[in-house]
Amino acid sequence: MFPVPIEKATKTNRVIYYSSVALVLLLWLIPLMIITLAAFKTADQLNAGGRGFVLPDPFTLTAFKRTLTNEPFMASILNSFMVVIPVTVISISLATMAGYALSKFRFRGMIIIFAIFVGGNFIPYQVLMIPVLRLTQDIGIWNTKYAIILFHGAFQAGFCVFFMRNFISQIPNELLESARVDGATEFEIFYKIVLPLVRPAMAALAVLIFSFVWNDFFWSLILSPISPSGMLAPAGLATIIKGRFYNEYNVMAVGSILVALPPVVLFFLLQKQFISGLTMGATKG
Amino acid sequence: MKIIKLLILSFFALGMIINSAFAGGKLVIASNASDAAPRQAMEDIVAKFQAANPDIEVVLNTTEHEAFKTAIRTILAADKGPDVATWFAGNRMAGFVADGLFADVSDVWASEGWGNSMSSTMPSVTFNGKQYAVPFSYYQWGVYYRKDIYDANGISIPKTYDEFLDNCKKLKANGIASVAIGTKYLWTAAGWFDYINLRTNGLDYHIDLMLGKTKYTDEGVVNTFKNWARAIDAGCFMDDHQNYSWQEAQAPLINGEAASYLIGNFIVANLPEETQEQLDFYQFPPIDPNMELGEDAPTEIIFMPANAQNVENGKKFMAFYAQPENLTAMNNVLGQLSPHSGSAAPSDRFQKAGAEMLSKSKTAQFFDRDTTPEMAKAAMQLMVDFMLEPESMMEILEEIEEERSRIFGG
Repeated sequence: MFPVPIEKATKTNRVIYYSSVALVLLLWLIPLMIITLAAFKTADQLNAGGRGFVLPDPFTLTAFKRTLTNEPFMASILNSFMVVIPVTVISISLATMAGYALSKFRFRGMIIIFAIFVGGNFIPYQVLMIPVLRLTQDIGIWNTKYAIILFHGAFQAGFCVFFMRNFISQIPNELLESARVDGATEFEIFYKIVLPLVRPAMAALAVLIFSFVWNDFFWSLILSPISPSGMLAPAGLATIIKGRFYNEYNVMAVGSILVALPPVVLFFLLQKQFISGLTMGATKG
Repeated sequence: MKIIKLLILSFFALGMIINSAFAGGKLVIASNASDAAPRQAMEDIVAKFQAANPDIEVVLNTTEHEAFKTAIRTILAADKGPDVATWFAGNRMAGFVADGLFADVSDVWASEGWGNSMSSTMPSVTFNGKQYAVPFSYYQWGVYYRKDIYDANGISIPKTYDEFLDNCKKLKANGIASVAIGTKYLWTAAGWFDYINLRTNGLDYHIDLMLGKTKYTDEGVVNTFKNWARAIDAGCFMDDHQNYSWQEAQAPLINGEAASYLIGNFIVANLPEETQEQLDFYQFPPIDPNMELGEDAPTEIIFMPANAQNVENGKKFMAFYAQPENLTAMNNVLGQLSPHSGSAAPSDRFQKAGAEMLSKSKTAQFFDRDTTPEMAKAAMQLMVDFMLEPESMMEILEEIEEERSRIFGG
């Protein structure tokens, strides 16, 4: 049975469909609405029980001011960018090249290599906690950004290679062969033929990897120092803004919004490519 | 493989800073003061020490305070530890001391005369007659109450536990909960247990219990729980306390639906100004008039790990840090009390009241610091169960005792 576009369904079905979409959307957004409301409240109002769906009284931007002037927290957001951007670049560029090789060339051990990339995705990452920690300590990069960058760059590559290989294998061989006949070098084929065609897939991957790594708490906790200077944003949210005894919920709300923003912004920027990248990659597995 | 490793190593070695030699050697400090203001205060003290000792190369490593609680084990087990580190007094350090992981610093205590100037916290860092750390900060627990509500309902500060319970009944009749408490995260209930046990059985009994030497089915503990049940029966505690965190339970106090809160001094700073003005503090009233009034006063310390590399520099820093003016500066930032009698008296009235009370008391740390974490977790859950179902007291005590004998044996 194939899905029928909702516009062609019966009227009752359409009403049920749209109202349940609205309902689920509302349920989904309730926590976000509460957090947004809390961001504009005073600490006193929250402490006195003014939580949930209560309008800010008085309306204040203190929490924003306090968050934006919290230097360690803002530094942790910057740290996150300095980790996440290299990781995204490393894993996607490696994966595009590897995916190209694995889908368009035949060589000994090809299946094994591909299996290793894919198999990496099935290892529960908690298992790797101690080996990776020891490895980074042995090569002397533990407690630095390089540890997280290298680890995520390598570990995300598994999924990226899987994704890119399937995508690139859809490019007709004739295209590459005609380029070869015209005298293009292998590098030119990759750079001038393959890359432009896989750009949507790369954009989709970029959004995925960016948000995976941005939201990662586990590895930033293990590989990077929770020392205030080297912390990443999720850890910063959990440790800088959260107090020892007392939590300023309005400041935490602003912090949560700030931390959640970058992946959302990136998603909207690359939305078109993201959707087409996902569906195009999915047609042939 | 080795070559790759070497390559990576040398690559990152480029980014490292090579330090020039210092004649006085090195001093490594591991600090858990990671919140902005305490961190600054610690950095200021270290800078002062560095200025006074330019020949020593001082390194301050700050770790986030929750992560530090796990990191301490790595620090203590490493071949080369830091020379000075922060931690907590009482049973939280006792296990490490017993394992020989803390260095004996009795000689610094003797040469600095801390036996006199820091006598109130001395027992919390003394094991087998030797001192293994220097306290630098502590704060009081007690009953924080709304004067205006007490006045409006015609009640006054209770001199005895019976008066305290009478107050509960009067307030309850007027629709006000005497005591605000949020037990969602359990530890607030342990505060009540600590105080009722301290007042019923005294400090020494309490400490033995915390160390697992006394059974929870012992008559003394049963009496404590009976006294606790009296407060529950008198309707002292606010309703549905199991649904609130300690912070959420401030709301009834602020809104005038509850009259008091048994909590640490950290509650004051974040209350709205109007509430602060109405707020005052009293010591938990006596239950058995013959018992000395022991107090909960969680204490923070600096110590020297047994694996310290620069023992002399470490001791020098400890002595420097514990100078009254440094402790005053640090505690002004923390909003806590300096354990040194030479420190300036605090100007804040709550701190003043606390300092006065603690200078006359012997102190425990707090339930979850005095006993092992495993024991604390199990017992605190059962204490909250008890507050909800006081009639199943004996079964609950037997369950706590089961945990105790499993954890401590005997």
